[in-house]
Amino acid sequence: MIQFDHLSKEYNGIPAVNDLTAVIPSGEIFGLLGPNGAGKSTTILMLIGLIEPSGGRCLIDGVEVAKNPIQVKQHIGYMPEDVGFYPTFSAEENLTYFARLFRMEPREYRKRIPDLISLVGLDGVTKQVGGYSKGMRQRLGLANALLNNPSVIILDEPTANLDPQGVADYRRIISGVAQEGKTVLVSSHILSEISRVSTSIGLLSRGQLIAQGKWEELSRQLQGQDTSWVTIVLETQDPMPELSHPDLISASYTDDRRTATLVARSDIRDAVADECQAAHVRVHGLKSEGTSLEDLFLSYYQKAG
Amino acid sequence: MVDSGLITIAKKEFFDHVRSRKFLLIFGIFLVVAIIGMIGGVAEYNDTVKMYNDKQAVTISTSDSAIQTTSYLAKPSILLVFYHMSTPFMMIGVILGIAMGFDLISKERESKSLKVLLAHPVYRDEVINGKALGGIAALLLALGIVFVLSVATLLISGLVPDGTEVLLILIFCAISFLFIFTFFPIALCMSAITEDSGKALIYTLIIYTILVGFIPILMSTPAISESVLGPAPEMPKLVSDQMNQATVADSSSGMSSGASAELIRYQQQVKEYSDRQTAFTQTLSLFSPTGNYQKLTVSLTNPTVASAMYGSAMGEAAGTGDRGVDIPGLLSMLSINILALALIPAIFFGIAYVRFMRMDIR
Repeated sequence: MIQFDHLSKEYNGIPAVNDLTAVIPSGEIFGLLGPNGAGKSTTILMLIGLIEPSGGRCLIDGVEVAKNPIQVKQHIGYMPEDVGFYPTFSAEENLTYFARLFRMEPREYRKRIPDLISLVGLDGVTKQVGGYSKGMRQRLGLANALLNNPSVIILDEPTANLDPQGVADYRRIISGVAQEGKTVLVSSHILSEISRVSTSIGLLSRGQLIAQGKWEELSRQLQGQDTSWVTIVLETQDPMPELSHPDLISASYTDDRRTATLVARSDIRDAVADECQAAHVRVHGLKSEGTSLEDLFLSYYQKAG
Repeated sequence: MVDSGLITIAKKEFFDHVRSRKFLLIFGIFLVVAIIGMIGGVAEYNDTVKMYNDKQAVTISTSDSAIQTTSYLAKPSILLVFYHMSTPFMMIGVILGIAMGFDLISKERESKSLKVLLAHPVYRDEVINGKALGGIAALLLALGIVFVLSVATLLISGLVPDGTEVLLILIFCAISFLFIFTFFPIALCMSAITEDSGKALIYTLIIYTILVGFIPILMSTPAISESVLGPAPEMPKLVSDQMNQATVADSSSGMSSGASAELIRYQQQVKEYSDRQTAFTQTLSLFSPTGNYQKLTVSLTNPTVASAMYGSAMGEAAGTGDRGVDIPGLLSMLSINILALALIPAIFFGIAYVRFMRMDIR
């Protein structure tokens, strides 16, 4: 379990994280969302004890990080955004070094390291890490984050450099560890990625948590609000006219103008159907895709100013 | 058995150093230069021994007055061979120390491994102490190999040191290590302070230039000592006028009693000023690792030069007299230099330590 208790951090008087309070229960995959500079990385660095909070505290499994950093670090796995290793070491040598820092018994890590290397798809790669691509380093970073069989796993932009296969592998691994009852905190600005893996999300803006909860709950909260955005897909038998409606934010048409994706502030399906009928265009399909994560994200940020 | 974080980091750093091409290349050059210095030293030692033996032969065959003459030539010590090794130590050893330290922390920051390392259950002081220990161990290994090969060269040349000489060789080794080690914490400190390895190297070289080049220049610049100690005493006009008029060699003869008293007072002032100037220069020289190292190695290995450079008392303790080397006395006279040599790395390591402990890793 992760707890943020009125956590704050200032850099030269400028708040990077401001009075952050949240609880992430065990077994949850929590997506921490926010644009660049929102305070995601600062929050994570305070959580792993690399930055001292200016105020408040964070706890992992009930232990305060700032007071017991070593005890806490024994139980967390962390992968930074731009993960780095010792370039002259192989993957196995890097992991062996870190396993020793975890005070793992040789018998234990000699068995675990090849398993992890295989899990992240780096088996058979014997070259030095200096010759790895960013994606390979990120795979190794994931293996390192799982090395000590942690109860809490913290991943900062974990899929930033992964290829599609790597992303699929990552999702499979993360879902697997969450099923084991581990807590996973994933920070990202890639919304689609968060929506695919996380069970709950927190939106961070200018160092403040502006919304937190299960994805479905947040989505429900937005329904009926003036600021909610709806995506509508319109399909017609004939080329459709240029649609206009006060609530329409954007419309993108296919080349034959028989399909359009509309983003509107409200559900304007009836009005769109009337407009098509007036233009003698037969509607083939008209469906609402609801509120996407992007819509939700933008809506909250619009509210937060 | 599971090692502590400190030992794990120290081991990794040690093997990183000894396997790095940078270390091997500089160490190789260091070894070659040291052995060349050693061979040169052996040749000079043999020449000195021959000269000493020739003088001894003259002494035995002639009158007592010859004994007075030979007493100026100290019995040569095998340590003379090591006197020739101090120059390569000053040059290449320093480069080795700097090369091993300048990127220890900045490289970790550049490769982004520092954040990963510190996310593991390891205290920051274990990280910096482990890095220092690993570096010390690698430097000790390098120096150990150099000294073992040097002693082997001695033995191959048929020179077998006696007990006192072995002790002096060991002291020489320890001091040489201390000297080379001076530049390792300086480089480590710069590596902790600066953002990247390039800047760390440049700043280390600037400090090296200040300690090795600038301080000796300060010492030899009269304007500097005058600005601290005030102007040198001027000869009283009465004395200078009468001296100009004097034609005899002894300037005080033929002077009025008033002028003589002035002259005596002036001479005393000059002596006091000169003593203060010497004290100032000696104090300043304590900040120069090369100055300290030179004084220490010269005193340990070459009593004749020590006597000429640092006074007869130092020469006596170093072995110019008949009583041989007075090791406790010599070390006592050199203790301030040894302390100064140890203090500089301690200060820089302290700065590196504090900086690293307080550093926000972002």
